[in-house]
Amino acid sequence: MAVKEVLIYPDSRLKENCAPIISFDESAKQLLQDLVDTMVDAGHSVGIAAPQLGDLRRAAVVDVSKSKLGKKQENHGLLQMVNPEIIEKEGRQIVREGCMSVPEYTGNVTRSESIIVQFLDQNQQLQVLRCEGFEAIAIQHELDHLDGLLFLDRVSSLKTDLFRRKQK
Amino acid sequence: MQHFALTIIGRDRPGIVSQVTEILFQGGFNIADSSCSILGGQFSMILIISNPAISTKEEFSDTFSPLEESNLSVYIRTLKPGGEIRSELEGELCMISVYGADKPGIVYQVAKELGDRSINITDLNTKLVGDQQKPVYVMMLEAMLPEDTEIEEVESWMEDLKQRLQVDISVRSLVVMEL
Repeated sequence: MAVKEVLIYPDSRLKENCAPIISFDESAKQLLQDLVDTMVDAGHSVGIAAPQLGDLRRAAVVDVSKSKLGKKQENHGLLQMVNPEIIEKEGRQIVREGCMSVPEYTGNVTRSESIIVQFLDQNQQLQVLRCEGFEAIAIQHELDHLDGLLFLDRVSSLKTDLFRRKQK
Repeated sequence: MQHFALTIIGRDRPGIVSQVTEILFQGGFNIADSSCSILGGQFSMILIISNPAISTKEEFSDTFSPLEESNLSVYIRTLKPGGEIRSELEGELCMISVYGADKPGIVYQVAKELGDRSINITDLNTKLVGDQQKPVYVMMLEAMLPEDTEIEEVESWMEDLKQRLQVDISVRSLVVMEL
């Protein structure tokens, strides 16, 4: 069990593009375990990405099944993802997101409603899953971290935008 | 450090924000929080500002006279100690949309239902839309429901209001996804 410290912006490592994991060695397994341990320890968290622990490799974990909102929806439980990639996106939804690495700020972000994500799991098996709702949002949020993107880069509307006419 | 609330309003035109913030920047002010928007034909700015070297508004109120000269109204409020700190709000955010034919009292009646129960409104926007013959009033409101208040209760209060005011109201919980 290794709970790591979660980096907070402006730590520059949060803005880096992460490198693919070429050899799935012991240290990659350890990274997945650290991610799971830190996510669980953070209580409210439903996902975390490697750069949030200062590790610039393409790995992230997501588990919405323990959250109040996520457990009401269909989900895949704990997902441990190495080199994850979203290969298909569908629909649009606006959600208000917050992030452990950007405390005390939330913003409205447009995300795809449903995605197909492909990754290597903790047993090095290739997984291709269709995810929807909260789980899809969490995966998109965590995968953005691997490209050095924070939800702040994706805020799509101020609250008052509801009244702006040029919409649509 | 002493904080001030600064309110500026005037006919909307390009350049207001830069004019105001240039004065603040030159005067050594920090902008902590701010919200600026167009209301009707007016641009309005509300800012919480501070300057380590300044403790009373008399020391800097004159620096805004160029704004007054360009038809902007400026108001400065001196905050009490700690007045710049947002208190921790516990509970569940809820969003209430109210819309319908314009009539007097829509905002008041909805706000009263919440205020009477000490429910904190955290954000509120209203707009008159539609044409002059058939004006439609739209109100979007965010409120923080205390732990012991369920969203269904809010819905039931609004159900009564809907009948009385003959407007449409919907209530939903606004989930912030903490990731």
